[in-house]
Amino acid sequence: SQLIVAMATAPHTWLRLVPSCRSYSKATRLHKIDYPWKDEPKPHWVRQFEARRVDADLTPENRDWLRQWRLQRVRDAVASSSEAAAAASPLKEPPAARPLWTPRVSQRCGLVGIKLGILPMWYRNGQKVHTTVVQIPDQRVLRWVPPEDLGNYASLREMRPYRLNQSLLPRWLTQQRWGLQLVGAVPADPANFTAQWCGIFKAAGLPPMRKISRFLVSPDAALQPGACLGLHHFRVGDCVDVVARTVNRGFQGVMERHLMEGGPAAHGSTKFHRKMGSAAGGGGPIYRGKRMPGVMGNRFRAARSLPVLRVNTKHRLLFIKGFTPGPPHSYCQIMDSWMLDVRRSLDANPPPMPTYFAEDAPEGGYPEDVYHPDLLPYDQPLELPD
Amino acid sequence: SIQLEMPPAPSAAAGSCALSLGSRFLFGCRVTAAHRFAASPVQPPSPLHQQPHLQPCRQGRRWLRPEFRGVYKPRLSPEAMKEFWRLSGIGPDHSRAKVADQQAEVPPEIKRLYQEALPPIVSQDYRDPIVESLHRAEMMRRRRVINIPEFHVGSILAVSVMDKHAPNKVNRFVGLCILRRHTGLFTTFTLRNMVDQVCVQIEYELYSPSIVSIQLLKLERRLDDNLLYLMDAPHSHCTIPFDMVPEPYSRNDPVPVNRERVRLNPPPWMCKWHLHGYQGIDLEHLYSYLSDKDVAKAIEFSKAYKRYDLLDQYLNRVPVPDADYAFKDIFIQHQELLQHQQQQQQSSKKSEVISKLTGTA
Repeated sequence: SQLIVAMATAPHTWLRLVPSCRSYSKATRLHKIDYPWKDEPKPHWVRQFEARRVDADLTPENRDWLRQWRLQRVRDAVASSSEAAAAASPLKEPPAARPLWTPRVSQRCGLVGIKLGILPMWYRNGQKVHTTVVQIPDQRVLRWVPPEDLGNYASLREMRPYRLNQSLLPRWLTQQRWGLQLVGAVPADPANFTAQWCGIFKAAGLPPMRKISRFLVSPDAALQPGACLGLHHFRVGDCVDVVARTVNRGFQGVMERHLMEGGPAAHGSTKFHRKMGSAAGGGGPIYRGKRMPGVMGNRFRAARSLPVLRVNTKHRLLFIKGFTPGPPHSYCQIMDSWMLDVRRSLDANPPPMPTYFAEDAPEGGYPEDVYHPDLLPYDQPLELPD
Repeated sequence: SIQLEMPPAPSAAAGSCALSLGSRFLFGCRVTAAHRFAASPVQPPSPLHQQPHLQPCRQGRRWLRPEFRGVYKPRLSPEAMKEFWRLSGIGPDHSRAKVADQQAEVPPEIKRLYQEALPPIVSQDYRDPIVESLHRAEMMRRRRVINIPEFHVGSILAVSVMDKHAPNKVNRFVGLCILRRHTGLFTTFTLRNMVDQVCVQIEYELYSPSIVSIQLLKLERRLDDNLLYLMDAPHSHCTIPFDMVPEPYSRNDPVPVNRERVRLNPPPWMCKWHLHGYQGIDLEHLYSYLSDKDVAKAIEFSKAYKRYDLLDQYLNRVPVPDADYAFKDIFIQHQELLQHQQQQQQSSKKSEVISKLTGTA
């Protein structure tokens, strides 16, 4: 019997509807003609880093000079697309009117952050709260992929994991209500990267960057390439979702990885203390997805609905309540929370749409530290109500 | 369009014109390049055998031209580096320049007063200079509100915390400090005392805003980093009266060391105290309770093999440059704190005088 993996109403001509294989015998093995890029190393479409070429014919002085020239071009490109430049110089396209926040429709772009560490703080009622310190590096918008063009996007054409796990496609891909906003972060020396990687940024007039992230954004909140994303995109009090790769714990056994019971430590137990035990029922196959030892961690996970308690403009930091996945100095994606209660609260107090611009700044600018009203700064004494 | 400006050519006196072919051609092989210089105005170099630094060798030893020696890793000027980091939006903490310019040596009283300013002893992956500087800045901000005295393990403290259930809304506890751990804003200390013949140990967070005051009653140091063995010692060692009068001390004097050796109660104990290298325990009395095997183990431990364990020293100590930087940063903020306290005293005196003159309460 045929199992249709894609449940979309509109036909996707690039999807091959392959019959599912309930029995995993050799005769019904998946064929190699699924798609030509199947066995290539992923991502197969772009290689980021290139080994630094050693130009032995160049003198060190000339090598230095060229490096300085490259870095100066990076600085000029960064400066020309900054907030100050946007206010001063005319844009390539005339700026469209800023969209309004539409309840149940709008989803803004997010920010790329670098998790630094943890700082404890206290509320005004004496309760302690741990805050994750996240730095917002220099980032620019790279590209907008409208929802209709999601099917042509190279990285979304990998169907094999869905077919193997007999799982459905995600709804943002089938419903096509949101588009993809590509954001580049941390500009760097172009000599570190391949020409292919630098070409991704060329269309937007940006220098190559170390990190590219994508966010699911509604079409009304789409940003044009080259737009600057800043620290004040999120305000104190906004609840955010933080998505990052969890800490890699290495190869772990089932007791650590899946919290299995293991065996008794004593009472005659022979070589059965931390093992899995049985893998399947009598005579039956071991099903795909059976919990077994393997690499633990290093997965994308989301911490949902964390309020931003403090913003530091000097070091470009967000203080987010609670703990986020990933080790220190790892990248994370920060976006408006998808939780329904947060979305409803944003309808009453809409955030800057589509992002923060210089005209949204309050008179006199922002102070160095902006605190949540419930948070107690360290230079104020605690006053508990009687 | 950008025009490349070629740098000035290296001096011909160095005899290196022939080497513009590329130094890789010279590794371990003879080069007779005279024919390539027929048309050039530059003189051909002297034969290889007359240049002692160009002797060929079988292993192909890599040789660096004289003008490049010492320029192996050219550096950017500090101004250019600063400008790049400023425009990039991220980079090292800009206040590092302020701290690095601090030439005056940090006085020893700073290291005694701010022991928790040291960075934590963890893997380098988990340390961040910005977060550590934030911890230090917040610590100094808190010290503008409350006076945190210098104390060590073995000192006697009186701590008052806010307690909404207490009659005066304040709960005061006096005790001997037996433990002091963690760094930065996570610093905690544990006080131990006897209350109605019951041993009580309370752990306080040093920078919690619910602490109203920390009063030092007796400044003292012991022979150990922690006094957890007092849990298995007679209760007389940690019985401190709640109405104890504070003993005066001077900041300039060294911290007095209490070298008493405690006699523990007979076993069973909560922990194998003989295996942790405590100096504050009466060891002869302790070994009298142990078997010969345990005593041998304890003596072997006390031989201090850790002195020769380089990896243990590397992993369990704060790097000296990091410690110096932290104390310099704290010293600058300590001076600002003193100024702030002086200003507050002056303003409070002013307000007192004004209230006396005008007759207001």
